[in-house]
Amino acid sequence: MTFTSWQFGAFVAIIFAVYYLPPCKSLQVQLLVVGSLFFYGYGQPELLPLLAVAVLGTYLFLILALRNRPLWLPIGIGFNLLLLAFFKYKFLFIGPRSTGATGLAPIDFLLQLPLPIGISFFVFHNISLLVDLTGKRNDPPDLKSVFLYIIFFPQLVSGPITRAEMFMPQIQPKYFSDIPFVEAAKWILSGFFFKLYVANNLNEMTSYMDFPLYETLRTQDRWLLVFLYSYQIYADFFGYSAIAIGLALLFGYRLPINFNLPYISVSFSEFWTRWHISLSSWLRTYLYVPLGGNRHGELRTYLNLMIVMGLGGLWHGAGLGFLLWGLLHGALLVIERPFLARLALIDSAAFRATRVGFVFVCVTMLWIFFKLPNFDHAISYLSGMFTSSTNPNPPKLFYNLACLYSLPVMIQHLVSRSRFEKTLGGTEPYLYGLMAALMYLEAGPETSFIYFQF
Amino acid sequence: MQPKSAVRWFAKCGFSAGLLLLACGVATAWFGNGPQLPSTTTRDGTLITLNRYAREPIPDVVLVGSSLTFRLKEEYFTTHRLRNLALAGGSPVTGLEVVASQPRLPKIILVETNVLSRSTDAALVARYSRADNAKPLFFRPIRTAVAAYEDRLHAPLNHAQVSSSLRQLLEQPPSDFDNRIYVDRALEQWNAEDPTGAVQANVVRIEQLIPEIERKGARVLLFELPCSAQLEASRSAKITREIVRTAFPRPDRWLHIDYARGELRWADGVHLDQRSAVIITQSIDRALASLPGSP
Repeated sequence: MTFTSWQFGAFVAIIFAVYYLPPCKSLQVQLLVVGSLFFYGYGQPELLPLLAVAVLGTYLFLILALRNRPLWLPIGIGFNLLLLAFFKYKFLFIGPRSTGATGLAPIDFLLQLPLPIGISFFVFHNISLLVDLTGKRNDPPDLKSVFLYIIFFPQLVSGPITRAEMFMPQIQPKYFSDIPFVEAAKWILSGFFFKLYVANNLNEMTSYMDFPLYETLRTQDRWLLVFLYSYQIYADFFGYSAIAIGLALLFGYRLPINFNLPYISVSFSEFWTRWHISLSSWLRTYLYVPLGGNRHGELRTYLNLMIVMGLGGLWHGAGLGFLLWGLLHGALLVIERPFLARLALIDSAAFRATRVGFVFVCVTMLWIFFKLPNFDHAISYLSGMFTSSTNPNPPKLFYNLACLYSLPVMIQHLVSRSRFEKTLGGTEPYLYGLMAALMYLEAGPETSFIYFQF
Repeated sequence: MQPKSAVRWFAKCGFSAGLLLLACGVATAWFGNGPQLPSTTTRDGTLITLNRYAREPIPDVVLVGSSLTFRLKEEYFTTHRLRNLALAGGSPVTGLEVVASQPRLPKIILVETNVLSRSTDAALVARYSRADNAKPLFFRPIRTAVAAYEDRLHAPLNHAQVSSSLRQLLEQPPSDFDNRIYVDRALEQWNAEDPTGAVQANVVRIEQLIPEIERKGARVLLFELPCSAQLEASRSAKITREIVRTAFPRPDRWLHIDYARGELRWADGVHLDQRSAVIITQSIDRALASLPGSP
């Protein structure tokens, strides 16, 4: 059940209608838990037991770690990392269709299970729960609250990755009169607009980046498509996150902002404070800082950055391409670090624009490893960007359509928010109305959210 | 935000959304689907081809085929009222099903038999077999605007407009483009697949459709486009040819096209290049003109 399907719309409408009914006041959390289980099981019912094991196991380790943190916290974290490693990386060692690999039916059954949707996200929620709650010596939360925190349906599949210490205090009775309807509507409309109008339409063009279609492209079109993919992946993931934030608001929960105009970053370190913010802050809190952060000298800091970014890359998928993507981002962070203070002293709009452009181009080029996880294909695509094409029948791409579908991302990034809101004045609701109509009229062909695969 | 102002916000939002939808709905009712939308994918191109066929007067001659036939552009032909319904990435049987489902049929339907390993696109056939096909409630404003602009820049050409450039093209020698990499890759693929089941199913369907079509007064002729010598000797091509020729042994079921084979080139290993496509269209023109009862 994807966010863009009518089934999901009906599902949300039913849950929302029941959620605020006076007789259900005391059952709001249970209702969201049951609804979230239905949402998850709708696509992959065979994986519901896995979700239950992950949540119940984490809850058990939470109770134990509250009694003896030094012993049970590492075991609880290890349990979750094992789950993630098993499901995410098992296909590195066995083929997706291999049967009877071990001869033991239960193990073979587990080996045959597909990658559970959202496992990368709910495992991180589990770890956050264990670390945050055991660090404060609180009383253990009840099981239904733990379930809700981990499997709350707007964030279950692709985040934002919410920290337990931020979410758990929000679990309390919710009232219809407290719903920020307009704010929720703005998030939901923006999200659907960016997904349906921008990302899905751009996906039609960027599908030419797939192997072997990219071999037919002209050199200039290879360049164009990389930039279009950069806009697409932003619109796709920003869209998902915005819908999740808006939906959560309807049920009285505030999820963290996941994107803050990442493509106007002047440095790579700034980019990671603006792109997939919930993941980068999770990695900083639960990996970079425990590794020592920047507290043990320059060399150790660089090593920590490389480790965090390399693992961050692998978190996206079991492939050399993802690892390389993470390591290259790590290398860029390491290279720029000694110069950041000096660069910040140069007060010039032109210099700032140059830095923004440089960071954007570098980040965009690295998306090739995301689009083409097969390392050979990525290198082949990349090398084709610097050699002239010989194909006599290249596909025709409509540059005007590409521009019109990318425009919302460009406007969002290039026009300052305060100026934009000032210009809009009282016309803001009309703009959202036009966006709503356009996302219906101009919706591109249905494609799943890119981050669903992670 | 106060409840009243929230209601006002939603009213304004709904008003502008409704206004744009209404405008597009009225424009669609008034002008129809408007200009053909530019295609960015093969599927788009297929829809454009079929939308045009459903909307415009029935031609005299129709070609149905795969991407091999797709390369034979309509403006290359001197035969009037000819329409190429070949679907890049699709099966010739899909086009034949769509044509057969229409109430009125062209006089001659030419069916390519090279690629019969793909199954029929049932969704596409169902869509164009309905009386209300391809009539959306609203057109897409951005795409329509771009389509109008592109149509203005690149209006469809007819044979008279391109005949001199085609003549110049034919005066040039055949291309010396080295296509070995592409041929090897295609050969690997064509040797790997065993199309027997799919080809047999498609041939059976063609056998069923031919009498249905010919009862309505149209004539169905099969034709085979030339491929490079390596591909013609591939496993897939040999199996396909054998099944088709066994099913349709009578010579009068075939359109015989003559061409100088040495003049033909396949730049990407599989599809005719532009000069070769022109050579083949000329031979099809000659073959059509030599048919009994041709104008």
